[in-house]
Amino acid sequence: MRILGIESSCDETAASVVEDGERVLSSIVASQMTTHGKYGGVVPELASREHLRAIVPVVREALAQSATRLEDLSAIAVTVGPGLVGSLLVGLTYAKSLSFARSIPLIAINHIEGHIHAVVLEAKRAGTPVQYPALALVVSGGHTHLFEVREGFHYRLLGKTRDDAAGEAFDKVAKLLGYPYPGGPVIDRLAPHGDPSAVRFTFAKMKGNALDFSFSGLKTAVLRWVEAHGMADEIAARRALQRAFPEAAIEQWLAASPPRTLDLLASFQHAVIHELLTRAAACAQEIDAQTLIVSGGVACNSGLRAAAQAARLPYPVLFPTPGLSTDNAAMIAAAAFPKLYRRDFAELDLTAQANLTLA
Amino acid sequence: MPTYRTATEAETIALGEQLARELPPRGVVLLIGNLGAGKTTLAKGIAKGRAAIDPDDVSSPTFTLIHEYSRTGDRFSSPVYHIDLYRLDEPRQVATLGLEELFEKDALVLIEWGERFPQLMPAERTEIRLRALENDEREIAITTLI
Repeated sequence: MRILGIESSCDETAASVVEDGERVLSSIVASQMTTHGKYGGVVPELASREHLRAIVPVVREALAQSATRLEDLSAIAVTVGPGLVGSLLVGLTYAKSLSFARSIPLIAINHIEGHIHAVVLEAKRAGTPVQYPALALVVSGGHTHLFEVREGFHYRLLGKTRDDAAGEAFDKVAKLLGYPYPGGPVIDRLAPHGDPSAVRFTFAKMKGNALDFSFSGLKTAVLRWVEAHGMADEIAARRALQRAFPEAAIEQWLAASPPRTLDLLASFQHAVIHELLTRAAACAQEIDAQTLIVSGGVACNSGLRAAAQAARLPYPVLFPTPGLSTDNAAMIAAAAFPKLYRRDFAELDLTAQANLTLA
Repeated sequence: MPTYRTATEAETIALGEQLARELPPRGVVLLIGNLGAGKTTLAKGIAKGRAAIDPDDVSSPTFTLIHEYSRTGDRFSSPVYHIDLYRLDEPRQVATLGLEELFEKDALVLIEWGERFPQLMPAERTEIRLRALENDEREIAITTLI
């Protein structure tokens, strides 16, 4: 059985055909990164306009690459939230129209559940299916969540960020230091050149739910450190580099980063990773998790992957391959299979839900 | 122009709750201050006072741009919108968010980094300036513009 997945909740317009919940026959992502990079973030107006331009060719390409005809589809899966309403509407309207015109069942998918299914799909494909209960750490520019995942895909929210998402902390620290958007990849590539123990960042103990995250204090601590160390000239130099070379290579950023700044980046990244893994491990222990799933854009961070392996946790830690870590539509199609099996279809009056929660 | 000082995050949230009672029932409030000044923290208190939202559930709207908070189960109470324009750089990007529509609503609209786009903000508004002092202290000054 084949499902066509459509995703347009934020930066990327994506479509994919997945077979039987485990084979990705095609996965097309039209990245808007070059459009957004210039503006230091996702821009709603540009996002919906770019989605509109990309949606038809992206779906066509996903069908063509997988040699799938519309009549081969058992369902169309589409992201209904959370995300930017203007962006969500493009994918949703397209999916609804196609569903109506060709009488193909429509399945509504939560974007965050999609991230979890990116790992579920790959684990199934590898012949080592996820064991439940699992703990899922979904960590990206907009999300930092810990979910318990029980057999049959029942979710329970165990912890979340109370202020900034982890990916947002990367973006804001990069921006205040004069590095380009998105901040995660550039910091990840520069961090190995610095000393992660050079600057000690501490996290306050959480009142209330001890499994919640907070990254706002870390961002403020980096800002105070920068103010106290007279870095204005080098920051101005990096902003000039960004203007002169919007596509500057990592070597150029390295050359524009004094050792002290590299130490700061390494220490910052270390602090974020340590915080994510410590809380995830505590949470996993609490629910007696059999698997730890790490997904979302920040799951691409090589420092996070290395630290998770080095931690020698008593259960497998599964990351998606990089292509399925960031936003994509294969994860949306994958998440739709359990719903297809229980015929949990959406009506055509389905609307975009910007603040949709998973549990 | 009342000016307050808070010593902790909890005090900033409590001040937000107090302001929720004192601010006009509807209208636009700009939260002005540098990164880490306490804008989102104050918004937590205001959302708690106005919409009975748990402060732990009020997170940064930087990525998502607009968060909406309403008293659950009460569809007649007016909502609180929490907006963050940090990552937008040009007025034309902000113009497409449809803020005028929110300004017309029977709602309290909190905006972070809105002062960067003065021409798009209503003339009649409240401005709250936040400044980080030594040792986690914050100075919070309120001005009403008509």
